[in-house]
Amino acid sequence: MIKHKKGQMKIQQMVFLLVAVTIFFVLVGMFFVTVVFSGLRESAALLEEENALLLVSKLANSPEFSCGNAFGSTKINCIDSDKAMALKNNINKYSGFWGVDGIEIKKIYPEDERICTFENYPDCGEILLLSSRGTGVSNFVALCKKENIEGQIYDKCELARISVYYGE
Amino acid sequence: MLNKKKKAQEEIIGFALIVIIVAIILLFFLVFYLKSGEKEGVESYEADSFIQASLQYTTECRDYLEYLSVQKLIFECNNNALCLDDREACEVLNSTLREIVDESWLIGEDRPVKGYELKITANQEEMLSFVEGNVTKNYKGTKQDFTQSGNSIEIFFRAYY
Repeated sequence: MIKHKKGQMKIQQMVFLLVAVTIFFVLVGMFFVTVVFSGLRESAALLEEENALLLVSKLANSPEFSCGNAFGSTKINCIDSDKAMALKNNINKYSGFWGVDGIEIKKIYPEDERICTFENYPDCGEILLLSSRGTGVSNFVALCKKENIEGQIYDKCELARISVYYGE
Repeated sequence: MLNKKKKAQEEIIGFALIVIIVAIILLFFLVFYLKSGEKEGVESYEADSFIQASLQYTTECRDYLEYLSVQKLIFECNNNALCLDDREACEVLNSTLREIVDESWLIGEDRPVKGYELKITANQEEMLSFVEGNVTKNYKGTKQDFTQSGNSIEIFFRAYY
């Protein structure tokens, strides 16, 4: 009888131990899974954002768009709107050059919904270079031009978004 | 016999207590880690580009040479200067930046961006600051600094999601 009780006690002890060890490993596992997956999610989001920015920045800073030294010092993320309009006229020569299907530059501030043509430029707010749509990425840029105010030429930069579309 | 039984029971209780304590400590660390992860902000290239582009924006404030960019207007504001039309540089800077951020980061309950915060400091002293919408734990932000004549200017921007 005593031996029987002792055996029961040993079994009970073993059960406790097994339960405790299982809980311990489950918790440790959960902890590592959370660490690994939260890191992955963050890395994926950052990479996605970085790639999108690189694609758009590559375009904004390419010689066909960039301000260069035309507005004082060298500026980054700055698009010369006169260049963009000139490019609009010759966009067919650049088909496939940047590997994108659509390029659009839209003024954000001050906002202007009018699509730019050679007739209404510069009194407009949206330069459509390649009008194809699909998955789009965009980034902020300064949209600069030379402006004539009372016979004097000034640099005028406004805030815009350049959007790139691919894979329609 | 009774002594041995008691000893075994004490051993089990002790072991169970240790397991419970370890489990609680692990849970505590798990909760702490997850909570701190939520609060953490991410450096944003979009916010970075926004600040860069905004600094180049040409404002309505002009001096004898040109219409000033936001970046130049920040320096003028720091010097408490006036525009050619007698408006204070800081006043023009404040209204221009508010309008720029308002148009660029549309906020609302049904929009991804719930709020934003912009702060400009000059030599660690606050020059301009405003917050709109809801301040949440998830944000993307950026900090840019530049100097002029020994004055250190810092711009902080955060978009809350």
